[in-house]
Amino acid sequence: MSIPASTQKDAAPSTDNSRSRERRRRLTGPAMVLPALLVTVLFSIIPIVYLAIVSFTEKSSFFFRNTTYTWANYSTIWDRYLPNLETTMRLALLSSLIDLIFGYPFAYILIRKVRYRELVRTLMVFPLFGPLYLAYGLSYIFLPNGPLSPVLEFFNIPATKWLYSEPSTLFGMMIFTFPFMVMNIGAALSNVDPMLEEAANTLGAAPWKVFIRVLFPLSYGGVLAGFLMCFGWNLGVFVVPVLLGGLEQQRVISLTLYSKGMSQQDFGMASAMGIVLMAIAFIVTWASLRFSRGALGA
Amino acid sequence: MSAIASSPVQRNRKLSSRTVFGALQHVYIWIWLVLFALPFVVTILRSIQDVDGGHSFAAYQQVFESYRGNLWFSVKVTVITIIINLLVSIPGAYAIVRYTVPGKRFVLSLLNLALYTPGAVAGISLVITYSYLFHIPRTTTGLVGAYVVGTYPLMLVPIIVALRDLPQVYEEAARTLGANRAQSLFRVELPLLGPGISAGILLTFVIVFNEFLVTLFIAGPHTTTAALTVYNLTRTGFLPSTAALAAAMQLISFLVVLLFFRTFGSRYLKGTFLI
Repeated sequence: MSIPASTQKDAAPSTDNSRSRERRRRLTGPAMVLPALLVTVLFSIIPIVYLAIVSFTEKSSFFFRNTTYTWANYSTIWDRYLPNLETTMRLALLSSLIDLIFGYPFAYILIRKVRYRELVRTLMVFPLFGPLYLAYGLSYIFLPNGPLSPVLEFFNIPATKWLYSEPSTLFGMMIFTFPFMVMNIGAALSNVDPMLEEAANTLGAAPWKVFIRVLFPLSYGGVLAGFLMCFGWNLGVFVVPVLLGGLEQQRVISLTLYSKGMSQQDFGMASAMGIVLMAIAFIVTWASLRFSRGALGA
Repeated sequence: MSAIASSPVQRNRKLSSRTVFGALQHVYIWIWLVLFALPFVVTILRSIQDVDGGHSFAAYQQVFESYRGNLWFSVKVTVITIIINLLVSIPGAYAIVRYTVPGKRFVLSLLNLALYTPGAVAGISLVITYSYLFHIPRTTTGLVGAYVVGTYPLMLVPIIVALRDLPQVYEEAARTLGANRAQSLFRVELPLLGPGISAGILLTFVIVFNEFLVTLFIAGPHTTTAALTVYNLTRTGFLPSTAALAAAMQLISFLVVLLFFRTFGSRYLKGTFLI
């Protein structure tokens, strides 16, 4: 008689206990992600929301009592700064294309033929330390009477026209993003079975045909992902045009944004440029993440 | 008779053209490797040049005397960022792999948001919020906040990869043998996650130590990092001391990367910023 009662008495708190443990367990996950989310909200989301608000205000009026809201910043970008956007896009596009043309053979040889891959990987980290040291070193190499001048003379290029020009800017941007291209294409190529190439070869396909019909279609995802990744990085280019570019190249959006916001204190205009640049960068990144599924293992 | 004699010659020629092609492929790789290292090598060569054409390490001594404060500040900020990154990322990665988080995919892409924001955009947005909302313009707190939000996703990914590789049996075994949750975390799981966590530390170090663009926007005269000093000095031309500081920064970064590759290999860096 007393036994069932005691079990009942025991059972009731135990189910209650397990339910509360279950609830605690369900809350633990979100609670552990909370610090990360908090950091992102404080230092990324709130600033971007503010950037969007400031982009609709005139000059630096956001910080004062006479805040005036206007569309003028965006219409000014449309009227006057389209060439800057065009320069940014052109430099990013060209340097990413050069990366692709030289990066594909590099990745292929690296994956299929090279045994000293660790060494390659180690030397490839130098560009990843950032474009600053790279552009600085290159600008010294490119000096009219610097180490490169005999080579330039040999190719009959006037040494004074090389530094502070579009080709030297593209060269710097291309070297900086080259590892990203190789990394993406290499990841895609290492998933392609070499047997497929051999099969195409033994069935009589010429090397270029093997490339067009077999290799390229199978590594297409990596190529696209690498291209978009390079493009995304190169859109935000800042220091390379400062150290290697001429006035034409120094029109890139990041630099214009800096001089507008930090030198002329025109925060409205700078914010609008930031929003435009970020919109382009996000579209590119979204596309690259979409196409890179599998290539990056994400 | 002649056909028999010619066939080995032909094969020989075919073989030699193939070896030439093979050698050319390696030459191609090496041209690029030289290009990657060349700016660094030239910077070092410039830094040890003397005024009278000789070689000396005087520039390094000068750098150490003039920019010791900046270098020390850089190291300090980097270490603080790494510690905060660890405190933020380990629980985050743990929750994402082991627990249910509502809207996991959305949360993950939200956390990665700062990673895809161009540096100049992050800079100008932080300038505005720091001076208008948080009232921390030109402070170390502001710098660390910007670095943490920009780099902790890079620490999150290797830890997630390492956690997914780690079977849950170790944790369960430790718990059944009587370890409490904290003991199993500190004595079983964290040591096993070591390589993944150190990959995150490496990535954070390489990026924060060399970051100058966001810093250019939000740093003040008392919060100038060594990388920003390099950027400011590049405007003064090609002084040996500028080259010495740039070379020293790259050398420190390179040694850390080398140490990491020697100790852990590059497996846990897959799918992240460095290969």
